[in-house]
Amino acid sequence: MRVFLDLMWFFKTRKRHYIFGILMLVCVTLLSLVPPQIVGRLVNDIRNKSLTPHILAVWLLIIGIIAFTMYVLRYFWRILLFGSAVQLSTLLRRQLYDHFTRMSPKFYQEHRVGDLMAHATNDISAVESTAMDGILTLVDSLTSGTLVIATMALTISWKLTLIALLPMPIIAVTTQFYGTILHRRFTKAQAAFSDTNDKVQENISGMRVIKAFGQEDAEEAAFAELTEDVVAKNLAVAKIDALFDPTIGIVVALSYFLSFGAGAWFVAHGQLNLGQLTTFSIYLGQLIWPMLAFGWLFNIVERGRASNDRIRILLGTKTDIVDRKDAVDATPSGDILYNVEEFRYPNASEPTLRDIRVTLLRGSTLGIVGRTGSGKTTFLRLLLREFDVEHGDIAIGGRSIYHTTLDSLRSAVAYVPQDHFLFSATIADNIAFAAPDKPLSAIQEAARDAQIHEDILRFPLGYATLVGERGVTLSGGQKQRISIARALLMNAEILILDDALSAVDARTESHILESLRRNRSHKTTIIATHRLSAVEHADLILVLDEGAIVERGSHQELLQLHGVYQKMWDRQQLESMVEEGGIA
Amino acid sequence: MSVEADLLPPEETTSFRGNVALRLFAYARPQKWTLLGAFILLVIATLGNVIGPILIERFIDNFLELRRFPFQPIATLAGTYLGLQIVSSICQYHQLVRFQTAALRIIRKIRQDVFGHVQHLGLAFFDKMPTGSLISRITNDTEAILDLFVSVLSTFIQTIVQLTGIFVAMFYLDAHLALYCLFLAPLIYGIIRLYRTLSARIFHITRHRLSLLNAKMNESLQGMYIIQAMRQQQRLRGEFGHINEAYRSSRMRNIRMNGLMLRPLVDLVYFLTLMTIIFFFGHASFRTTVNIGVLYAFVNYLEQFFEPVNNMMQRMTLFQQAMVSSQRVFHLLDETEYAPAADPSYRGDMAPAVTEGRIEFRNVSFSYDQKTDVLKNISFTAEPGQTVALVGHTGSGKSSIVSLLMRFYDNYRGDILIDGVPLSAFEDTELRSKLGLVLQDPFLFVGDVTHNIRLGRHELTDEQVEAAARFVQADRFLKKLPNGLKEPLGERGSTLSAGERQLLSFARTMVGEPKILILDEATASIDTETEEAIQEALENMRRGRTTIAIAHRLSTIQDADLILVLHRGEIVERGTHQELLSTGGLYYKMYMLQSGAAALPSPVSTRTADIFS
Repeated sequence: MRVFLDLMWFFKTRKRHYIFGILMLVCVTLLSLVPPQIVGRLVNDIRNKSLTPHILAVWLLIIGIIAFTMYVLRYFWRILLFGSAVQLSTLLRRQLYDHFTRMSPKFYQEHRVGDLMAHATNDISAVESTAMDGILTLVDSLTSGTLVIATMALTISWKLTLIALLPMPIIAVTTQFYGTILHRRFTKAQAAFSDTNDKVQENISGMRVIKAFGQEDAEEAAFAELTEDVVAKNLAVAKIDALFDPTIGIVVALSYFLSFGAGAWFVAHGQLNLGQLTTFSIYLGQLIWPMLAFGWLFNIVERGRASNDRIRILLGTKTDIVDRKDAVDATPSGDILYNVEEFRYPNASEPTLRDIRVTLLRGSTLGIVGRTGSGKTTFLRLLLREFDVEHGDIAIGGRSIYHTTLDSLRSAVAYVPQDHFLFSATIADNIAFAAPDKPLSAIQEAARDAQIHEDILRFPLGYATLVGERGVTLSGGQKQRISIARALLMNAEILILDDALSAVDARTESHILESLRRNRSHKTTIIATHRLSAVEHADLILVLDEGAIVERGSHQELLQLHGVYQKMWDRQQLESMVEEGGIA
Repeated sequence: MSVEADLLPPEETTSFRGNVALRLFAYARPQKWTLLGAFILLVIATLGNVIGPILIERFIDNFLELRRFPFQPIATLAGTYLGLQIVSSICQYHQLVRFQTAALRIIRKIRQDVFGHVQHLGLAFFDKMPTGSLISRITNDTEAILDLFVSVLSTFIQTIVQLTGIFVAMFYLDAHLALYCLFLAPLIYGIIRLYRTLSARIFHITRHRLSLLNAKMNESLQGMYIIQAMRQQQRLRGEFGHINEAYRSSRMRNIRMNGLMLRPLVDLVYFLTLMTIIFFFGHASFRTTVNIGVLYAFVNYLEQFFEPVNNMMQRMTLFQQAMVSSQRVFHLLDETEYAPAADPSYRGDMAPAVTEGRIEFRNVSFSYDQKTDVLKNISFTAEPGQTVALVGHTGSGKSSIVSLLMRFYDNYRGDILIDGVPLSAFEDTELRSKLGLVLQDPFLFVGDVTHNIRLGRHELTDEQVEAAARFVQADRFLKKLPNGLKEPLGERGSTLSAGERQLLSFARTMVGEPKILILDEATASIDTETEEAIQEALENMRRGRTTIAIAHRLSTIQDADLILVLHRGEIVERGTHQELLSTGGLYYKMYMLQSGAAALPSPVSTRTADIFS
């Protein structure tokens, strides 16, 4: 029950909802005690022939009023209590989302998106169900349980009540017992189901291999085996699940049996009348639910507590990239200075960058080349403060980026990442992602500079075409050019292109580079690339290998070194010949 | 931004629903005996529930009212009551289990059918269909149908049987009053219908918004680095908050709807019926004597009456979800884009076999989308035992040649012949066992090393598996694994290096001793140690086999009997290594550069000597 205390902060914010809701719930229980009394009186009146049309009309009227009042109360407590639970899950979901937007890449290295999604869906719904069904069950079973039993004992017979209640604890005990076994078996059944899911996933992803080796039938057999397992595991669940109803049935029957046996004896000895016995048996029926609910409550609360704890832990994680106390809130501008002794990723044994010392004059273009894994992307990520350097510093315009607020630092940098991520929105929205207020004319201008305008016009709805799962499928080159347009529209002082031209052909690449030179004459551009033609005109080119700068200089200087750079250049020249159709 | 419009879902298509119900029914048919058994048990169990109050009525009216307590009849009555309850509970239990058994078996059959069907669809189908939604059809949608059978169907049947039983008992006790109570049936039916109609739309909107919400969360998590780099956290929080709020408001509508229509309303009906019964008995008592026991029984039945009704109404939404899912599953089952198979018109006296391994392409052209040709007039011959190397840039058509030879697609123009026999004449098993394909991505399955080499070919002995591993030089690294060949591999073999994975995929191909080898060499960066092993393995593998290789490695290309230089779907140069060198064309230039680079150790080109890609 600790979870209710853990959620107290929320209950307090909706104090009035809970107080009124619970009051209404108690009123409903109190009202539901009345009709059985009426039926009992009626039985006695009928037996004694003392019933008059007037009395009958009054009874009926009272039941009618009670019924209607209960309907209204039931409706409103649902709004109050269930509505609050929904409010809780809405709030938690928003808190989680807000929290996610504050977390640094390190956090996303440590948590898989799938797991985070599971927290945001399953855990939140478990907490919601604790606040919804948990509270209802707790309040309802407590109040109606005690009230009904009290009424039975006080208005009818405490002896009979005691006798009738004898078998009732069996329900609470067995349902909780079944619940524990059920939970265990259910977990296994879920695991079996997720095994079949994994199999399907593997099968569909590996379809080419399966077909190449003619393994279709073997796969079918393997899958059939897994589905057998699912059936077996679920049957094990069903065998426990099916115990609930019959157990309750037997216990309730036993209870009725005892009440009528003992009740008859009391009636025969004049300690009870027939009407009271009838009332008693109706009350007995009203007790089944609270007993049942107590068994459930345990399971609901247990699950809710575990989920709530997980959400709390997640919300409690601190991000490692924060503004320092003395950080200046002004967009940085000027020469960029890298003075990095070494950088290693959290938990990495080897440094990813070593001895990186570079000065980049404002308005110049820096090219970074090197093999996959040589540290190009890391070089760029440090400038964006996705990770912080511990040994060394990076400064813009003479001020360390660590003495600038994150927000103003990032406002100075437009970033085109390697994996061109687009959002499921229109093309225009995607280009205007960083600057949603820009007019369409500016968006089109950026698209033209990124050489994607013509392509966009060919889509069915032009700039209003949706991309992503529900929209058109774009080629890799088109996605890259849209993300370039998105960065260009920011008009930032520093532009970073991380291998952002890999999927466009040579001619388009040179057009894009040309428009960059034209539009960004006084601004700084950093281009990391595999393709050397993209950095041919850069003021300075760094060749990285295993995290260190192995060659540096302009294109001409590097060619004269006859080193790594020159070899790469020759090879790529040839590749482009193949691209052009093999005309030597 | 069109967020507002998005919050309302598109209209759901309700076409051929009848058809769906019929097909679901067809799946239920094999389980008819189990279902019938469950039904009979259900009737017995219900009988027990229904007779109980009648026995109490007997007790009240015949003994308690009269203050007469003869031992014998009362003991019989009591014994009958308890016995009946126990029998009824046992029947109830078995009934529940049987319904579940039948439902689970039905779903197992549907799952196996869908999975099996998908296995025999062609790669052309997989090219079109997004993997995610295909997986969801086979798993989540069938799970929703399970709900239909497990909870919906059995609840509906139980409710109907129980209500019928109660009515029968009521008629037995007092036909006149029971007749009054009959008005409940249409009333409840009306409420259910009304609830279904009203809730369908709200439920649909809620579900739609939930999926928007999850999609937004998922997308934001994946693109968080962009959101942060572009400082759009604030705006995205706002957008998410908006959808979150919209979801909340439709949840509230749902709660209001349920508050108006579900349990509170059913309870109101309960009280109305109670008032009817009270009025009936009260009114009757003015004229005649009333049996108190009958009054008791009616009140008791009334209580039993409404629980199943509540249950049924709560399952309504599940039912609607299941019908939509069924429709999707059947849609997939109706897909007819099958994988190419042996053309029956070629079937002569006996199925053709691959004996020599001579491959011939004659004027082959091919297009994936029937619009742009990715292969144009490809002609070449690989004599038995020869190696043909395909070189060229990404997208030049190398992989398409391999896909056609593997008969992944069969809508090409021109002829492909193996040993002079058209490709389409071969049985699938013959092709798959004689053509050994090594893919660039060495896809590994969950399981141990042996499983990955053997795959489903159970006729292969452990010795053969081991020999194949040795043959491709995989034994060297396998020896280092704690469990050797029995070492379990993680998802996609993530515990192994790229080179080690590639060696396993070699072994997987070689263990079947194919006549023809089709290689798509890996370009992934491979450490020097395995690189050597791979070179050796490749040489061993090619020996004595016709080999078609998409080649990146100089050694493979150099040794080839025929080199085809492809560009944009056409063969632009062809010949042996020496011939191509002497013509001094493109190949010559590539070779000079490549060998020059290989002579000077540099991090760029020695490790993976891939000249194109």
